[in-house]
Amino acid sequence: MKRAAFILAANPLTLVGVMLVMLVVMAAALADVIAPFPAHRGAVVDFLNFNKPPGGDYLMGTDVVGRDLFSRILYAYRISLLMAVVVLAIAVPIGVTLGLMAGYLGGRWEYGLMRVTDVFLSIPPLVLALSILGVLKPTLLNGMIAITAMWWPWYTRLVYNITRGEKAEGYVLAAEVTGASRAHVMFREILPNCLPAIVTKMTLDAGFVILIASSLSFLGLGVQAPTPDLGSMVAEGARYLPDQWWLSVFPGLAILVAVFGFNLIGDGLRDILGGDR
Amino acid sequence: MMTRLLMGSASAAALALMLAAAPAVAQNVLRLDEVPVGELDPALASDYADSLLMFNVYDTLVLPAQGSPGHVPHLATGWEIDGATFTFTLRDDVTFHSGNPMTAEDVVFSIERMKALGMGLSFLLASVDSAEAVDTHTVRITLSAPYTPFIASLVRVPIVDKTTVMANLGTGEGEMGDWGQAYLSANSAGTGAYSVTSHNPQEETVMTLNAAYFGEVAEGAPSEVRLRYGLEPATVRAMVARGEHDISSQWLPPEVMVALAGEGAQFLQESGTGAFYIKLNTQKAPLDDVNCRLALAAAFDYQTAIAITKITDDVAGGVPATGAVPVGMFGANGPDMAMAQDLEAAQAHLANCAYTPSDHTLELSWIAEVAIEERFALLMQQSFATLGFNTEIVRVPWVLFTERVTSPETTPHISQVFVTATTGDPDTLLYPMYHSSTAGTWQSPEYLNDLEVDALLEAGRTAPDEAGREAAYAGLNARLMALAPTIYGFDRNSVFAASTRVSAPALTDPAQAFGLDGMGFSFRLMTVTE
Amino acid sequence: MLTILRQILQRIGMSLLVLWGVSVLIFAIARVIPGNPARVALGPNATAEQVDALARMLHLDRSIFIQYGFWLRDLLRGDLGRSLYTNRPVTQDIAEFLPATLELITVAAVLMIVVGLPLGILAARYRGRWPDHLVRVLSLLTVSAPSFVWAVVLMLCFAYFLPIFPIAGRLSEAFDIPRTTGFLSIDTLLAGNLAAFADAAHHIVLPAIALSLSGIGQAARLTRANMIETYDKPYIEMAQAYGFPDGRIARIYAFRPSLIPSLTIIGLDIAALLGNAFLVEAVFGWPGLSRYGVQVILRKDLNAIVGTVLIIAAMFLIVNIIVDILTVLLNPRIRHGEARP
Repeated sequence: MKRAAFILAANPLTLVGVMLVMLVVMAAALADVIAPFPAHRGAVVDFLNFNKPPGGDYLMGTDVVGRDLFSRILYAYRISLLMAVVVLAIAVPIGVTLGLMAGYLGGRWEYGLMRVTDVFLSIPPLVLALSILGVLKPTLLNGMIAITAMWWPWYTRLVYNITRGEKAEGYVLAAEVTGASRAHVMFREILPNCLPAIVTKMTLDAGFVILIASSLSFLGLGVQAPTPDLGSMVAEGARYLPDQWWLSVFPGLAILVAVFGFNLIGDGLRDILGGDR
Repeated sequence: MMTRLLMGSASAAALALMLAAAPAVAQNVLRLDEVPVGELDPALASDYADSLLMFNVYDTLVLPAQGSPGHVPHLATGWEIDGATFTFTLRDDVTFHSGNPMTAEDVVFSIERMKALGMGLSFLLASVDSAEAVDTHTVRITLSAPYTPFIASLVRVPIVDKTTVMANLGTGEGEMGDWGQAYLSANSAGTGAYSVTSHNPQEETVMTLNAAYFGEVAEGAPSEVRLRYGLEPATVRAMVARGEHDISSQWLPPEVMVALAGEGAQFLQESGTGAFYIKLNTQKAPLDDVNCRLALAAAFDYQTAIAITKITDDVAGGVPATGAVPVGMFGANGPDMAMAQDLEAAQAHLANCAYTPSDHTLELSWIAEVAIEERFALLMQQSFATLGFNTEIVRVPWVLFTERVTSPETTPHISQVFVTATTGDPDTLLYPMYHSSTAGTWQSPEYLNDLEVDALLEAGRTAPDEAGREAAYAGLNARLMALAPTIYGFDRNSVFAASTRVSAPALTDPAQAFGLDGMGFSFRLMTVTE
Repeated sequence: MLTILRQILQRIGMSLLVLWGVSVLIFAIARVIPGNPARVALGPNATAEQVDALARMLHLDRSIFIQYGFWLRDLLRGDLGRSLYTNRPVTQDIAEFLPATLELITVAAVLMIVVGLPLGILAARYRGRWPDHLVRVLSLLTVSAPSFVWAVVLMLCFAYFLPIFPIAGRLSEAFDIPRTTGFLSIDTLLAGNLAAFADAAHHIVLPAIALSLSGIGQAARLTRANMIETYDKPYIEMAQAYGFPDGRIARIYAFRPSLIPSLTIIGLDIAALLGNAFLVEAVFGWPGLSRYGVQVILRKDLNAIVGTVLIIAAMFLIVNIIVDILTVLLNPRIRHGEARP
């Protein structure tokens, strides 16, 4: 713990990352309180005040139907964070379990699981998510399903590689010799040694999920109006360049801040926890 | 070190290239854009881009009169009407782009082809029983049933070169194969003022002026026209500002139009033949109850909707609607009867409705390619929420919309569509929307099934004189207002932003307007200056 | 050498297997779509009989296994079906749009390597000092925003506020270049039109930069990390003790060995460009396969979706194989048979 604190102090950037992420989380959590126009995340139109540039009552200006951009960005953060949490909460356990099985059980398990993983991995992530979302109705839930479907293979491969290496280590043999079940070996012996790599990747992935989710909604497959979503806001705003530039610049910056924060933390974790393979 | 050298020389080269790359703009080229796809085969054409192509690459027997109702001869020199028989005399000095002379055979072939393929606007020829070539320059068309607006429908029946098409039949069932669809979707076989030099339905169609055209061509008409598909609004805006583009499509958001005007662009306009309709699915609860529909119609914020389309103080994309029939057509209410929001009346109607609003979620769709519709959707969401309705806004690409409306179960509760009279005549506007036999197309997601409406529509198309038609459509107007299958958002005024190097009198001078959507884009009547 | 060849062949075989798996997956997904593709194809005015006829022709009335069988048979004959969106054979669409995307990706990949690697070396060389910090922050920044954000920013700055570059497209209208390869850089030269070549280059700059930015950041970070690790190795210390010049050490002794682990990731990043191209092509109106892919996915154009995804997956796999081959070739230990790859 002391070592962690020491490294953190020597690494001011990681601290910045932590602060940024906390900023984002608080913005999302306290949106109801902070937002000057909390109703603007819903079915509100105010054509008298549309397309206002940043300033005055509207910190970041208003959009084409008169909604306050700043308030909407705060609520949009909720969607982004929710996505990251849910996707990782589902994809990681699945991926890790499959990776452990493939790496430890070997044989047909290994062959079958890794081939399936390869199939999923050989489609660029965005393409796979797009195809799935193209079939389903674009809602928040379906978006999460689509992104989860393409996410688990990365963890499978990561854990598989580590497990393969650890399989021959002494502590594993010791456990096997004393009659530990296969599940015990996988989850109580090998898994803890994978945790540093998994946690690092998860932190980095939180940002990455937000990236992918915003890319999907940028292409038109995100949540439907009037729910605010960073990617769709940028896409919408891009139509009105350069005159109403604030419509796409501020949501874009919002994405940048969130992902940058997660990346900084992830980098710091990598330094502390001793790198991933 | 190496890298520095590399970077240095690379940037020097790049700079040199950039300075050298200044493409010369070809003289007298007109550049405009529309939503893809551009369908070149006239028998398959139905959308706006298709119309632009059709009106310039092909000719029809008649053209709408400019600045007044009625029709004037074009490929035909005149015609005689005898009951259900129409006899047309054709010009003898017209040749196709291929060089073949235009004869009655081609006219007959074009009609038969359109009917056989049964797509696009072929329904216009549904009442045609037979067409025969009496001699090389006379055609007799016999109708199976009286159809008063028949002459009007001919503006949508372009004449194709029979010889060329027959020489290029593709594979298909029967001896006519595919009737030359594959060929005509990629090549032109018309008589028009412009012939197609290259055609990519997703990207661009290039047309060149036909030097041997028989009709009127303005001095200074563009020698080349480039119609591009699927340009983003930001792109169009920048290109017009830089002089790389001449006429925008009508789908540019109002802000972008305003920005262009601020930089000196002019506005071209086309109006009078259509409206913006908010179509209610009369077969889906709670909208199968007329009182709920009347409530929605009264709750719609008509004024704000028009304000959304406003570009300048004089120019807006919409003009107040007065009823089911656009102002200027048979049976329309006077301009003093503009529709307005009346929330009290809405509540009163709602009280009579058998359903409770909060029990139902209304699915409200907007066409993905028409960005402004999202704003109307959001406006409606707010207005209808005051009545207690929940709405779910859905963005649907055009292609998928036309597919969804083919059954009442998959049709959204509320859809937004811009509809125009394909021939300028009210029959082609109202019949496809409200007759019980034409339900389930993009024009008719209402699935209306009302005997009185059917009868009035029939009367409108068979009444032999104008007074009769006026009476029929006035009755129709009243009936539709009572049934409220549609919310009549506003009468539509199509606005295009254009650079000042283009002069298009048919789109700026009401005395020269065609009264038919798209025909104002007859490039031969435009002038392009440097 | 033989072992290397055998391994390469094994990889190719494995990739084909994977590609087959991809086809099954995408086919299954595409066929789950609700709605009637035949109706969508024929448009709003077709009659019910016409729709049924087309549905029968597209085998839509048979089970999904039979449909897959038909599709596979057609695929082996080079027929990917017809796109409902463009009304043309899908193979024609792919042939038209793929070169545009490939050209964009190639330029982006070159940028990634030419800019990213030197930046990484720079950061490693001046480790702990301000160039290092600057590179680290910049590369993290570029990785932290999706490519469409960079595309919008670049467009705003360099096409609007400072109108140096064009807004969209591949080539100015005024040029009419016959398409032989589909790569404008080659076609313009083949046509002998230098002005067109310059114009095409002009058009590709912003999209390529937008696409490559996150890759540049990634490449820089990776190279830096690997170089630092290499610098800690004993043979570097030895070279320094012997008094070799700093530059030489950096180039020959530090850089080359660190290239290998970077290469794998960079290769994957280049393959990932295929996915990111979707976003950049959308913003710049680049007429490539990715933009086409988005359009057909939004319109549920089955044949086009399956065809496009298959091609992209194939490209992905090909890039992976190339990276594997390069890794093998570059590692002298493997080349000389001392270590397994």
